[in-house]
Amino acid sequence: MRHMVDARGSYCPGPITELIKAYRKAEPGDEIELLATDPAAKSDVKAWAQRSGNEILTIEERGDHIAILLKVVKKAK
Amino acid sequence: MRPLRVAVIGGGTGGTIVSNKLASMLREDLASGRVEIHLFTESSQHVFQPANLDIAFRGAEPRRFVRDQRGLLNSKVVLHAEGVKLINAHDRVIIYNGDKFEYDYLVLSTGSRAVPSGVGGLSEASYNFHTGQEDSAKTWEALKRFERGRIVILINIPHKCPPSPVEAALLVDELMRKRGIRERVEISYATPYPRAYPTHSIAEVVEPIFEKQGIELVTFFNTDQVDPQRRSVYSLEGEELSYDLLITVPPHRGAEVIMASGLGDEEGWIQTDKGTLRVKGLDRVYAIGDATNIPISKSGVVAHLQAEVAAMNIAAEIKGAGAPIHYNGRINCPLELGGRRAIFVSGTYETPPARQEPSLLKYLMKRTFSSLYWPMLKGRLDLVFELYLGKPYTTKG
Repeated sequence: MRHMVDARGSYCPGPITELIKAYRKAEPGDEIELLATDPAAKSDVKAWAQRSGNEILTIEERGDHIAILLKVVKKAK
Repeated sequence: MRPLRVAVIGGGTGGTIVSNKLASMLREDLASGRVEIHLFTESSQHVFQPANLDIAFRGAEPRRFVRDQRGLLNSKVVLHAEGVKLINAHDRVIIYNGDKFEYDYLVLSTGSRAVPSGVGGLSEASYNFHTGQEDSAKTWEALKRFERGRIVILINIPHKCPPSPVEAALLVDELMRKRGIRERVEISYATPYPRAYPTHSIAEVVEPIFEKQGIELVTFFNTDQVDPQRRSVYSLEGEELSYDLLITVPPHRGAEVIMASGLGDEEGWIQTDKGTLRVKGLDRVYAIGDATNIPISKSGVVAHLQAEVAAMNIAAEIKGAGAPIHYNGRINCPLELGGRRAIFVSGTYETPPARQEPSLLKYLMKRTFSSLYWPMLKGRLDLVFELYLGKPYTTKG
């Protein structure tokens, strides 16, 4: 299953909030696609994925925003 | 034929301001009996919510921060101090107290609820300052009794008032130093975010202060569950944190009436146009403040500024004058950093908050605000706020 997260135009509290909401609902094996305009989103999501043991599949620059596709491979339950 | 009715649901900052603004903008229509404004709110009392921080961490007296709702409203606004049970937005009917109320325009300012029960074990295990004055006072009592061990400040999202967790951690630090027991107390700050504050530029200000004050920062910690017997918190990422005193910012949800009426998403947030503040898919319905799904701070200043925009758009619709204006995403949240210093987290949809230097002046501005809150609700400080914050809207979408 793919979860779409459109966090364009969000700076505070930021796209990571929206990503984590989707992560809470997701099951291992699911994908999450995050769209963001916040310049910090790329490094934040990379750091979160590394820390939580989840996988970034692609990062695309799309003009005025970026699209990050993640695969949920780890979740406590 | 009955008068044209504007119904406002929710008597917090946004609902009170939008009612008063509309009463002012439509005063001739109200005087002639062509228009009525009805405010529905669950309580006849209005609480200044930011002061929950002072109650929980400074032991402030709760009654200082409560006023009678009627006294805060324009005399032409009809107050119904009763909770709304159901909204039928397609037929433009509200059900309250067993009665039906027909309206023509609706403003949803139903706010957000802190829901500790949203995380397994959290209600039993923790203290908090987001579920009201009573729980804030209990937090103060627990902190006064605490003698040694680890205090964990545990942040769950989404939550209102983004600065409040950082302020809580620094006030706990300040309190333990005042009590002379700081060396016996560990303070840990566990957040789902990558840093101490979600916005990078603000985290750059906060993190050195945490380090100096000896507050441990635990990032990317998304609470999965709490075990009150073991006094441990577990994260979705698979980590464990032990505590002796757990103070939490619970996850928030939209109002029950929004969920019961099928007007929100699965967490109860209302799908709202971030510019016009119209509820998507419904005519003549607006949503403001914490209640919306707009990706912006859930804070009093946002509710205040959105109330102005919604009131202007509704007044223009009723008068049949002009195109809608668009909220520009202006935020301006005070963030107290201990040692009588503060900054303001300030930005718009287009401009992320910039780094600021903490100052005594900003701290004094924050402290002064609590006394300006009541006249502000009545619109008596509009000029001051407009000079300070600028216009919170653009005329183009």
